[in-house]
Amino acid sequence: MPVFIEDPTEFSKEQLRAALISHNVELPPGESRKEVYVDLYLKHVRNKNSADFSSDDEDLEEEQEEEADMVDLGALTDDQLKKQLLRYGVKAGPIVGSTRALYERKLQRLMAHPLQSRVNGTRHAAKYSDSEVDEGEDDEEEEDDEEEDDDEEESGIGYKYTMFLSNIQLQLHILPSEPATDILMELFPDTATTPTGITATKRRSIKGAAGRPVKFKYTETPLSPASLERREIQQHLLPLWVQIIVFLLVAVLLCFIYILMEDGLENPFSAVLDSLSEQPIPDQLTLITSSQDVSTSETVAA
Amino acid sequence: MSSTSQKHKEFVAEPMGEKSVMALAGIGEVLGKRLEEKGFDKAYVVLGQFLVLKKDEELFRDWLKDTCGANVKQQGDCYGCLREWCDSFL
Repeated sequence: MPVFIEDPTEFSKEQLRAALISHNVELPPGESRKEVYVDLYLKHVRNKNSADFSSDDEDLEEEQEEEADMVDLGALTDDQLKKQLLRYGVKAGPIVGSTRALYERKLQRLMAHPLQSRVNGTRHAAKYSDSEVDEGEDDEEEEDDEEEDDDEEESGIGYKYTMFLSNIQLQLHILPSEPATDILMELFPDTATTPTGITATKRRSIKGAAGRPVKFKYTETPLSPASLERREIQQHLLPLWVQIIVFLLVAVLLCFIYILMEDGLENPFSAVLDSLSEQPIPDQLTLITSSQDVSTSETVAA
Repeated sequence: MSSTSQKHKEFVAEPMGEKSVMALAGIGEVLGKRLEEKGFDKAYVVLGQFLVLKKDEELFRDWLKDTCGANVKQQGDCYGCLREWCDSFL
Protein backbone atom coordinates (compact mmCIF):
# COMPACT_ATOMS: atom_id res chain seq x y z
CA MET A 1 0.00 0.00 0.00
CA PRO A 2 1.68 3.17 -1.10
CA VAL A 3 -0.80 5.18 0.94
CA PHE A 4 0.89 5.07 4.29
CA ILE A 5 4.32 5.75 3.00
CA GLU A 6 3.30 9.21 2.03
CA ASP A 7 2.59 12.05 4.34
CA PRO A 8 -1.14 12.32 5.01
CA THR A 9 -0.94 16.07 5.01
CA GLU A 10 -0.19 15.94 1.32
CA PHE A 11 -3.41 14.12 0.57
CA SER A 12 -6.36 15.95 -0.76
CA LYS A 13 -9.43 16.16 1.38
CA GLU A 14 -11.22 13.70 -0.88
CA GLN A 15 -8.41 11.17 -0.62
CA LEU A 16 -8.43 11.40 3.14
CA ARG A 17 -12.14 11.03 3.25
CA ALA A 18 -12.03 7.95 1.04
CA ALA A 19 -9.31 6.42 3.19
CA LEU A 20 -11.33 7.04 6.32
CA ILE A 21 -14.44 5.56 4.82
CA SER A 22 -12.57 2.49 3.70
CA HIS A 23 -11.38 2.03 7.27
CA ASN A 24 -14.84 2.36 8.75
CA VAL A 25 -14.01 5.55 10.55
CA GLU A 26 -16.84 7.93 11.20
CA LEU A 27 -16.38 11.08 9.21
CA PRO A 28 -16.33 14.45 10.93
CA PRO A 29 -19.29 16.73 10.28
CA GLY A 30 -19.64 18.19 6.80
CA GLU A 31 -17.48 21.28 6.64
CA SER A 32 -14.53 20.27 8.80
CA ARG A 33 -11.06 21.50 8.06
CA LYS A 34 -8.44 19.33 6.54
CA GLU A 35 -6.54 19.03 9.82
CA VAL A 36 -9.44 17.18 11.36
CA TYR A 37 -9.29 14.64 8.60
CA VAL A 38 -5.55 14.30 8.93
CA ASP A 39 -5.85 13.76 12.67
CA LEU A 40 -8.45 11.08 12.18
CA TYR A 41 -6.37 9.51 9.47
CA LEU A 42 -3.29 9.39 11.64
CA LYS A 43 -5.25 8.06 14.56
CA HIS A 44 -7.22 5.33 12.86
CA VAL A 45 -5.55 4.37 9.63
CA ARG A 46 -1.86 4.86 10.23
CA ASN A 47 -1.84 3.21 13.66
CA LYS A 48 -3.43 0.13 12.32
CA ASN A 49 -1.13 -0.18 9.39
CA SER A 50 1.99 0.21 11.46
CA ALA A 51 0.73 -2.13 14.13
CA ASP A 52 -0.09 -4.91 11.78
CA PHE A 53 2.14 -5.15 8.79
CA SER A 54 2.06 -8.81 8.01
CA SER A 55 -1.59 -9.54 8.55
CA ASP A 56 -3.81 -10.02 5.57
CA ASP A 57 -6.96 -8.06 5.09
CA GLU A 58 -9.17 -10.34 7.08
CA ASP A 59 -7.05 -10.08 10.20
CA LEU A 60 -6.86 -6.39 9.80
CA GLU A 61 -10.59 -6.15 9.66
CA GLU A 62 -11.05 -8.25 12.72
CA GLU A 63 -8.50 -6.33 14.66
CA GLN A 64 -10.20 -3.19 13.65
CA GLU A 65 -13.48 -4.52 14.89
CA GLU A 66 -12.06 -5.44 18.25
CA GLU A 67 -10.36 -2.16 18.61
CA ALA A 68 -13.54 -0.41 17.75
CA ASP A 69 -15.27 -2.26 20.58
CA MET A 70 -12.84 -0.92 23.04
CA VAL A 71 -12.54 2.56 21.81
CA ASP A 72 -15.59 3.71 20.00
CA LEU A 73 -18.82 1.91 19.37
CA GLY A 74 -19.80 4.70 17.05
CA ALA A 75 -17.32 3.41 14.51
CA LEU A 76 -19.12 0.11 14.13
CA THR A 77 -21.36 -0.36 11.19
CA ASP A 78 -24.93 -1.33 11.88
CA ASP A 79 -24.24 -4.92 10.92
CA GLN A 80 -21.18 -5.14 13.14
CA LEU A 81 -23.13 -3.70 16.01
CA LYS A 82 -25.82 -6.26 15.50
CA LYS A 83 -23.26 -9.04 15.38
CA GLN A 84 -21.67 -7.82 18.58
CA LEU A 85 -25.01 -7.76 20.32
CA LEU A 86 -25.71 -11.27 19.15
CA ARG A 87 -22.44 -12.29 20.73
CA TYR A 88 -23.87 -11.21 24.04
CA GLY A 89 -27.04 -13.10 23.37
CA VAL A 90 -29.12 -10.09 22.44
CA LYS A 91 -31.16 -10.36 19.31
CA ALA A 92 -31.31 -6.81 18.13
CA GLY A 93 -34.14 -5.44 16.10
CA PRO A 94 -33.59 -3.15 13.16
CA ILE A 95 -30.71 -0.80 13.85
CA VAL A 96 -31.76 2.48 12.34
CA GLY A 97 -31.14 6.09 13.14
CA SER A 98 -33.60 6.24 15.98
CA THR A 99 -32.57 2.98 17.60
CA ARG A 100 -28.83 2.91 17.06
CA ALA A 101 -27.88 4.98 20.08
CA LEU A 102 -29.95 2.74 22.32
CA TYR A 103 -28.33 -0.40 21.03
CA GLU A 104 -24.89 1.13 21.36
CA ARG A 105 -25.56 1.92 24.98
CA LYS A 106 -26.96 -1.52 25.56
CA LEU A 107 -23.85 -3.10 24.10
CA GLN A 108 -21.70 -0.87 26.22
CA ARG A 109 -23.60 -1.92 29.30
CA LEU A 110 -23.30 -5.55 28.32
CA MET A 111 -19.59 -5.15 27.86
CA ALA A 112 -19.26 -3.50 31.22
CA HIS A 113 -21.20 -6.28 32.90
CA PRO A 114 -20.46 -9.17 30.63
CA LEU A 115 -21.60 -11.83 33.05
CA GLN A 116 -24.52 -10.15 34.66
CA SER A 117 -27.68 -12.20 34.57
CA ARG A 118 -25.77 -15.17 33.33
CA VAL A 119 -25.76 -18.74 34.46
CA ASN A 120 -25.07 -19.23 38.15
CA GLY A 121 -21.49 -19.71 39.12
CA THR A 122 -19.95 -18.41 35.93
CA ARG A 123 -19.88 -14.86 37.11
CA HIS A 124 -16.52 -15.14 38.73
CA ALA A 125 -15.07 -17.76 36.46
CA ALA A 126 -13.92 -15.27 33.87
CA LYS A 127 -12.36 -12.91 36.33
CA TYR A 128 -8.76 -13.25 37.18
CA SER A 129 -6.75 -11.23 39.61
CA ASP A 130 -8.64 -8.10 38.72
CA SER A 131 -11.94 -9.24 40.13
CA GLU A 132 -11.94 -6.71 42.93
CA VAL A 133 -11.33 -3.82 40.66
CA ASP A 134 -13.99 -5.09 38.37
CA GLU A 135 -16.62 -5.41 41.01
CA GLY A 136 -15.92 -2.03 42.44
CA GLU A 137 -16.35 -0.58 39.04
CA ASP A 138 -19.47 -2.57 38.45
CA ASP A 139 -21.18 -1.17 41.49
CA GLU A 140 -20.18 2.31 40.61
CA GLU A 141 -21.49 1.83 37.16
CA GLU A 142 -24.82 0.59 38.38
CA GLU A 143 -25.23 3.58 40.58
CA ASP A 144 -24.40 5.82 37.70
CA ASP A 145 -27.06 4.15 35.66
CA GLU A 146 -29.59 4.83 38.34
CA GLU A 147 -28.85 8.52 38.26
CA GLU A 148 -27.97 9.69 34.79
CA ASP A 149 -25.83 8.39 32.05
CA ASP A 150 -23.92 11.63 31.80
CA ASP A 151 -21.30 10.63 34.37
CA GLU A 152 -20.25 7.65 32.33
CA GLU A 153 -17.38 9.57 30.91
CA GLU A 154 -16.20 10.72 34.30
CA SER A 155 -15.32 7.32 35.69
CA GLY A 156 -12.50 7.82 33.23
CA ILE A 157 -9.48 5.61 33.12
CA GLY A 158 -10.75 3.03 35.57
CA TYR A 159 -13.84 2.56 33.55
CA LYS A 160 -12.01 2.30 30.26
CA TYR A 161 -9.60 -0.08 31.86
CA THR A 162 -12.43 -2.32 32.99
CA MET A 163 -13.96 -2.26 29.59
CA PHE A 164 -10.65 -3.10 28.09
CA LEU A 165 -10.08 -5.98 30.47
CA SER A 166 -13.51 -7.46 30.06
CA ASN A 167 -13.11 -7.16 26.37
CA ILE A 168 -9.84 -9.02 26.39
CA GLN A 169 -11.35 -11.71 28.53
CA LEU A 170 -14.25 -12.06 26.20
CA GLN A 171 -12.12 -12.16 23.15
CA LEU A 172 -9.85 -14.72 24.71
CA HIS A 173 -12.75 -16.95 25.42
CA ILE A 174 -14.99 -16.39 22.53
CA LEU A 175 -12.75 -15.98 19.56
CA PRO A 176 -11.05 -19.39 19.47
CA SER A 177 -14.31 -21.25 19.47
CA GLU A 178 -16.20 -18.70 17.51
CA PRO A 179 -17.87 -20.88 14.91
CA ALA A 180 -19.21 -23.20 17.56
CA THR A 181 -20.53 -20.47 19.79
CA ASP A 182 -22.12 -18.74 16.89
CA ILE A 183 -24.07 -21.80 15.97
CA LEU A 184 -25.01 -22.41 19.55
CA MET A 185 -26.05 -18.84 19.93
CA GLU A 186 -28.23 -19.18 16.91
CA LEU A 187 -29.75 -22.36 18.20
CA PHE A 188 -30.27 -21.12 21.71
CA PRO A 189 -30.35 -17.36 21.64
CA ASP A 190 -31.55 -17.15 25.23
CA THR A 191 -28.88 -19.22 26.84
CA ALA A 192 -25.87 -17.63 28.38
CA THR A 193 -22.36 -17.97 27.09
CA THR A 194 -19.87 -19.20 29.60
CA PRO A 195 -16.19 -18.49 29.49
CA THR A 196 -15.36 -22.06 28.67
CA GLY A 197 -17.58 -22.00 25.66
CA ILE A 198 -19.59 -24.86 27.08
CA THR A 199 -23.15 -23.83 27.43
CA ALA A 200 -25.15 -24.98 30.37
CA THR A 201 -28.68 -25.51 29.27
CA LYS A 202 -31.65 -26.71 31.16
CA ARG A 203 -32.52 -30.32 30.78
CA ARG A 204 -35.35 -30.59 28.40
CA SER A 205 -37.85 -33.30 27.90
CA ILE A 206 -37.95 -34.83 24.47
CA LYS A 207 -41.15 -33.00 23.81
CA GLY A 208 -39.54 -29.72 24.76
CA ALA A 209 -36.65 -30.36 22.41
CA ALA A 210 -39.06 -30.44 19.56
CA GLY A 211 -40.19 -26.95 20.47
CA ARG A 212 -37.07 -25.36 19.05
CA PRO A 213 -37.45 -22.57 16.55
CA VAL A 214 -39.17 -23.76 13.45
CA LYS A 215 -36.31 -23.10 11.08
CA PHE A 216 -34.17 -25.68 12.85
CA LYS A 217 -36.68 -28.44 12.70
CA TYR A 218 -35.83 -31.19 10.29
CA THR A 219 -37.73 -30.88 7.13
CA GLU A 220 -39.92 -33.83 6.40
CA THR A 221 -38.43 -36.39 4.14
CA PRO A 222 -39.83 -36.05 0.68
CA LEU A 223 -42.62 -38.51 0.09
CA SER A 224 -43.18 -40.55 -2.99
CA PRO A 225 -46.29 -39.67 -4.98
CA ALA A 226 -47.88 -42.98 -4.07
CA SER A 227 -47.57 -42.48 -0.35
CA LEU A 228 -48.75 -38.91 -0.71
CA GLU A 229 -51.81 -40.21 -2.48
CA ARG A 230 -52.34 -42.79 0.19
CA ARG A 231 -52.05 -40.14 2.86
CA GLU A 232 -54.56 -38.01 1.06
CA ILE A 233 -56.95 -40.88 0.84
CA GLN A 234 -56.44 -41.67 4.48
CA GLN A 235 -57.37 -38.15 5.35
CA HIS A 236 -60.68 -38.57 3.63
CA LEU A 237 -61.42 -41.92 5.26
CA LEU A 238 -63.39 -42.30 8.45
CA PRO A 239 -61.50 -43.24 11.58
CA LEU A 240 -60.81 -46.89 12.17
CA TRP A 241 -63.27 -47.48 14.97
CA VAL A 242 -66.13 -46.13 12.86
CA GLN A 243 -65.12 -48.48 10.09
CA ILE A 244 -65.13 -51.45 12.48
CA ILE A 245 -68.52 -50.57 13.87
CA VAL A 246 -70.00 -50.19 10.42
CA PHE A 247 -68.49 -53.48 9.39
CA LEU A 248 -69.94 -55.22 12.44
CA LEU A 249 -73.34 -53.68 11.82
CA VAL A 250 -73.35 -54.84 8.24
CA ALA A 251 -72.20 -58.31 9.28
CA VAL A 252 -74.92 -58.59 11.90
CA LEU A 253 -77.50 -57.39 9.43
CA LEU A 254 -76.40 -59.95 6.87
CA CYS A 255 -76.53 -62.72 9.47
CA PHE A 256 -79.96 -61.64 10.49
CA ILE A 257 -81.19 -61.60 6.92
CA TYR A 258 -79.62 -65.00 6.29
CA ILE A 259 -81.34 -66.52 9.28
CA LEU A 260 -84.62 -64.97 8.32
CA MET A 261 -84.21 -66.16 4.78
CA GLU A 262 -83.50 -69.68 5.95
CA ASP A 263 -86.71 -69.69 7.94
CA GLY A 264 -88.52 -68.00 5.10
CA LEU A 265 -87.19 -70.53 2.60
CA GLU A 266 -88.55 -73.40 4.56
CA ASN A 267 -91.91 -71.86 5.19
CA PRO A 268 -93.42 -70.97 1.87
CA PHE A 269 -91.71 -73.54 -0.27
CA SER A 270 -92.11 -76.45 2.10
CA ALA A 271 -95.73 -75.57 2.46
CA VAL A 272 -96.13 -75.63 -1.28
CA LEU A 273 -94.10 -78.78 -1.58
CA ASP A 274 -96.05 -80.36 1.21
CA SER A 275 -99.28 -79.47 -0.33
CA LEU A 276 -98.02 -80.75 -3.69
CA SER A 277 -96.57 -83.95 -2.34
CA GLU A 278 -99.42 -84.71 0.00
CA GLN A 279 -102.19 -84.67 -2.60
CA PRO A 280 -100.88 -87.15 -5.12
CA ILE A 281 -99.91 -89.79 -2.59
CA PRO A 282 -103.39 -91.17 -1.88
CA ASP A 283 -104.19 -91.41 -5.59
CA GLN A 284 -101.00 -93.22 -6.31
CA LEU A 285 -101.56 -95.41 -3.39
CA THR A 286 -105.04 -96.22 -4.53
CA LEU A 287 -103.75 -96.72 -8.03
CA ILE A 288 -101.03 -98.95 -6.81
CA THR A 289 -103.28 -100.81 -4.54
CA SER A 290 -105.90 -101.16 -7.22
CA SER A 291 -103.35 -102.36 -9.73
CA GLN A 292 -101.93 -104.65 -7.19
CA ASP A 293 -105.40 -105.76 -6.53
CA VAL A 294 -105.89 -106.40 -10.21
CA SER A 295 -102.63 -108.24 -10.51
CA THR A 296 -103.28 -110.32 -7.48
CA SER A 297 -106.72 -111.07 -8.68
CA GLU A 298 -105.29 -111.95 -12.08
CA THR A 299 -102.71 -114.27 -10.54
CA VAL A 300 -105.36 -115.72 -8.39
CA ALA A 301 -107.50 -116.25 -11.45
CA ALA A 302 -104.65 -117.82 -13.33
CA MET B 1 -47.71 0.58 36.80
CA SER B 2 -50.10 -2.15 37.73
CA SER B 3 -52.84 0.32 38.53
CA THR B 4 -54.21 1.71 35.32
CA SER B 5 -55.10 5.33 35.05
CA GLN B 6 -58.13 6.76 33.37
CA LYS B 7 -55.91 7.90 30.52
CA HIS B 8 -54.59 4.41 30.08
CA LYS B 9 -58.08 2.95 29.92
CA GLU B 10 -59.21 5.53 27.43
CA PHE B 11 -56.21 4.98 25.23
CA VAL B 12 -56.38 1.20 25.08
CA ALA B 13 -60.14 1.20 24.57
CA GLU B 14 -60.06 2.13 20.90
CA PRO B 15 -57.79 2.41 17.87
CA MET B 16 -55.49 5.38 18.31
CA GLY B 17 -56.30 6.98 14.99
CA GLU B 18 -54.83 10.45 14.85
CA LYS B 19 -54.62 10.99 18.58
CA SER B 20 -51.95 13.36 19.76
CA VAL B 21 -48.93 12.08 21.59
CA MET B 22 -50.33 13.53 24.78
CA ALA B 23 -53.11 10.98 24.73
CA LEU B 24 -50.56 8.37 25.77
CA ALA B 25 -50.60 7.44 29.41
CA GLY B 26 -47.65 8.94 31.23
CA ILE B 27 -47.16 11.67 28.64
CA GLY B 28 -48.46 14.98 29.86
CA GLU B 29 -48.14 18.55 28.69
CA VAL B 30 -44.44 18.89 29.27
CA LEU B 31 -43.26 15.57 27.90
CA GLY B 32 -45.72 15.88 25.05
CA LYS B 33 -44.22 19.21 24.06
CA ARG B 34 -40.73 17.79 24.13
CA LEU B 35 -41.74 14.83 22.02
CA GLU B 36 -43.47 17.09 19.53
CA GLU B 37 -40.35 19.15 19.21
CA LYS B 38 -38.47 16.02 18.24
CA GLY B 39 -41.04 15.15 15.65
CA PHE B 40 -43.06 12.65 17.64
CA ASP B 41 -46.26 14.61 17.39
CA LYS B 42 -48.75 11.76 17.10
CA ALA B 43 -49.24 8.74 19.27
CA TYR B 44 -48.68 6.48 16.28
CA VAL B 45 -45.19 7.88 15.75
CA VAL B 46 -44.30 6.80 19.26
CA LEU B 47 -45.94 3.48 18.50
CA GLY B 48 -43.63 3.18 15.51
CA GLN B 49 -40.62 3.63 17.70
CA PHE B 50 -42.05 1.19 20.20
CA LEU B 51 -42.46 -1.39 17.47
CA VAL B 52 -39.09 -0.85 15.86
CA LEU B 53 -37.56 -1.59 19.27
CA LYS B 54 -39.46 -4.86 19.10
CA LYS B 55 -41.61 -3.95 22.09
CA ASP B 56 -38.57 -4.30 24.30
CA GLU B 57 -39.35 -2.66 27.61
CA GLU B 58 -35.80 -1.78 28.56
CA LEU B 59 -34.96 -0.18 25.25
CA PHE B 60 -38.22 1.69 25.02
CA ARG B 61 -37.83 3.07 28.51
CA ASP B 62 -34.32 4.16 27.65
CA TRP B 63 -35.49 5.83 24.52
CA LEU B 64 -38.29 7.67 26.26
CA LYS B 65 -35.93 8.87 28.92
CA ASP B 66 -33.49 10.11 26.31
CA THR B 67 -36.06 11.76 24.13
CA CYS B 68 -38.20 13.60 26.64
CA GLY B 69 -36.69 12.91 30.04
CA ALA B 70 -39.55 10.81 31.31
CA ASN B 71 -39.21 9.45 34.82
CA VAL B 72 -39.57 5.80 35.71
CA LYS B 73 -43.28 5.98 36.36
CA GLN B 74 -43.98 7.87 33.17
CA GLN B 75 -41.90 5.39 31.20
CA GLY B 76 -43.80 2.52 32.72
CA ASP B 77 -47.19 4.08 32.05
CA CYS B 78 -46.35 4.82 28.46
CA TYR B 79 -44.86 1.41 27.86
CA GLY B 80 -47.78 -0.37 29.49
CA CYS B 81 -50.33 1.55 27.54
CA LEU B 82 -48.65 0.94 24.19
CA ARG B 83 -48.12 -2.71 24.92
CA GLU B 84 -51.72 -3.23 25.91
CA TRP B 85 -52.91 -1.31 22.88
CA CYS B 86 -50.83 -3.60 20.69
CA ASP B 87 -52.20 -6.67 22.41
CA SER B 88 -55.70 -5.70 21.49
CA PHE B 89 -55.33 -3.94 18.15
CA LEU B 90 -52.24 -5.16 16.39
